[in-house]
Amino acid sequence: MAEKKISQKTLNTSFWRWWYGNLTCFSQEHMQTFGYMWSMLPIIKELYPTKEEQIEKLNTYSPFFNTEPQIGGLVVGITAGLEEARANGAEDIDDEMINGIRAGLMGPLAGIGDSLIVGTYIPILLGIALGFAEGGSALGPLFYIIVWNVTEILFERFIYKKGYELGGTAVDLLVGEQATAFRESVIVMGQVIVGAMAASWVSVGSPLVIAKDSTGADVLLIDKLDGAFPKLLTCIFVLLAWFLMAKKNMSPVKVLLLYVVIGFVGSVLGLLG
Amino acid sequence: MSLFQAILIGILSMCAASTIACLGTTVGNYTMNRPLVAGLLVGIVMGDVSGVIQVAIPMQVMWIALVTPGGTVASDLRAVSYIGIPLAYVGAKAAGMDFSGPEAQGLASSISAMTGVIGITLFYGTAMMNLIWQHWGWAQLEKGNIDCLGTVDVILPLISHFVLSFLPCTLLCYFGAGAVEQVFQNLNTDVWYIKAILTVGSLLPAVGIAILLKSVVSKMTDLIYFLFGFALAASMGLTLLAATAVGAAFALVNYQLTMSKANGGSGGSDDFDDEEDI
Repeated sequence: MAEKKISQKTLNTSFWRWWYGNLTCFSQEHMQTFGYMWSMLPIIKELYPTKEEQIEKLNTYSPFFNTEPQIGGLVVGITAGLEEARANGAEDIDDEMINGIRAGLMGPLAGIGDSLIVGTYIPILLGIALGFAEGGSALGPLFYIIVWNVTEILFERFIYKKGYELGGTAVDLLVGEQATAFRESVIVMGQVIVGAMAASWVSVGSPLVIAKDSTGADVLLIDKLDGAFPKLLTCIFVLLAWFLMAKKNMSPVKVLLLYVVIGFVGSVLGLLG
Repeated sequence: MSLFQAILIGILSMCAASTIACLGTTVGNYTMNRPLVAGLLVGIVMGDVSGVIQVAIPMQVMWIALVTPGGTVASDLRAVSYIGIPLAYVGAKAAGMDFSGPEAQGLASSISAMTGVIGITLFYGTAMMNLIWQHWGWAQLEKGNIDCLGTVDVILPLISHFVLSFLPCTLLCYFGAGAVEQVFQNLNTDVWYIKAILTVGSLLPAVGIAILLKSVVSKMTDLIYFLFGFALAASMGLTLLAATAVGAAFALVNYQLTMSKANGGSGGSDDFDDEEDI
């Protein structure tokens, strides 16, 4: 019996279906499950000739799936490779093994994807784009549209392909020793940049007068604070919001509402503004 | 705003709609749904690209990093981008504000926070409506109709988008614009409550940045890097791009330190072979 091999065309179809459809039919109950099945469908159809087998194998992918979808392309690639091996008679690959891999990867990958792609890469790109957009220039959004989409597609295609080729060991690309060191280092850069963003984009002022100097001019509290550490008040408000969310587990919406109250009351009392 | 413009904005909102966008995750949610990009698109529709982008900038800052762990959201960007941005623009224009001035920026931040939070209902509404299509999909799969998947994943959710993106965005833009215009034409920014709203607007971006900070900080000592970056920009006047370069230098040092520790402190960076493209 000739060895079954998924054609390049089918792999492409599967990839683009995942890339496009991972979240299009999102619900709280099934999240990315339908996108996953839709993406595996062409592969299963090519590998298994009979309808009964197709239905049975597709059923492997019906359990709940949810991760950061862009980095999740890796998992789809891995299962494409596993499915091919299973169609060629690899006996140790069964539903349980495939779903073990899927379930085991979706948590860690979500963590990496959220902190690295959504939490660091996108904000950096947007930050640069915001700089270009100053004064209302269309250059900013255009820069973001092009750079983000080109790099994301290249990255997701790359990890899908690696997942297919390397199977389970492909995970080392993202969680191996070197990759972890790389990732943590990028996050260090992210921390510095977030600091710079806070100082560049947020500006909390105060009209509060604390004294009169010898010439009779007002001495503002904010000037004294800035003399100690520039934009100290802004820094305090950012750190306070972070503290409430990260350490006190307040939801962002609650912190927002709290800040609305603080801003409103502060303005009326003449403390902020 | 003409009905035609409102319809165009409604269609854009369907393509972009948070997380569940009908143009997918990368192009929909992470491109068209970002307020900065929406500023360009809405700007083209409204015929004032530069004005709308200026209004969109503070709205983007507010939600610069919107991580949605496990499908819980802090804000629905579709409402910010395709309800908030057009209305903020119409309001600022009617009041005769300078789009890049502190008043327009404070107003935009306030509207950004408000529409984002209220818009969450649209997000959960869409997700709930998709349950209907999925229910049908499971029934079809039971019967062995595996070809229904494309319909369930791609075609039927368009109905959810029509009901929960197109209709609210189009109607609010069309009917809301006139009302906002009237309110803002006679706006006196010296009244205490308007001042308060603008102050709130200057405070809220702090929460947006804190959400971002939370996604990169895992231990207290990480805050040192944050303060370092803050001082770079606030005290030394570095631009964002320059601060990125300084941050990259620290990242490199950190990488080499970690790797040399991993290699038993002997080899240094011999195996510097994989340049990951992230």
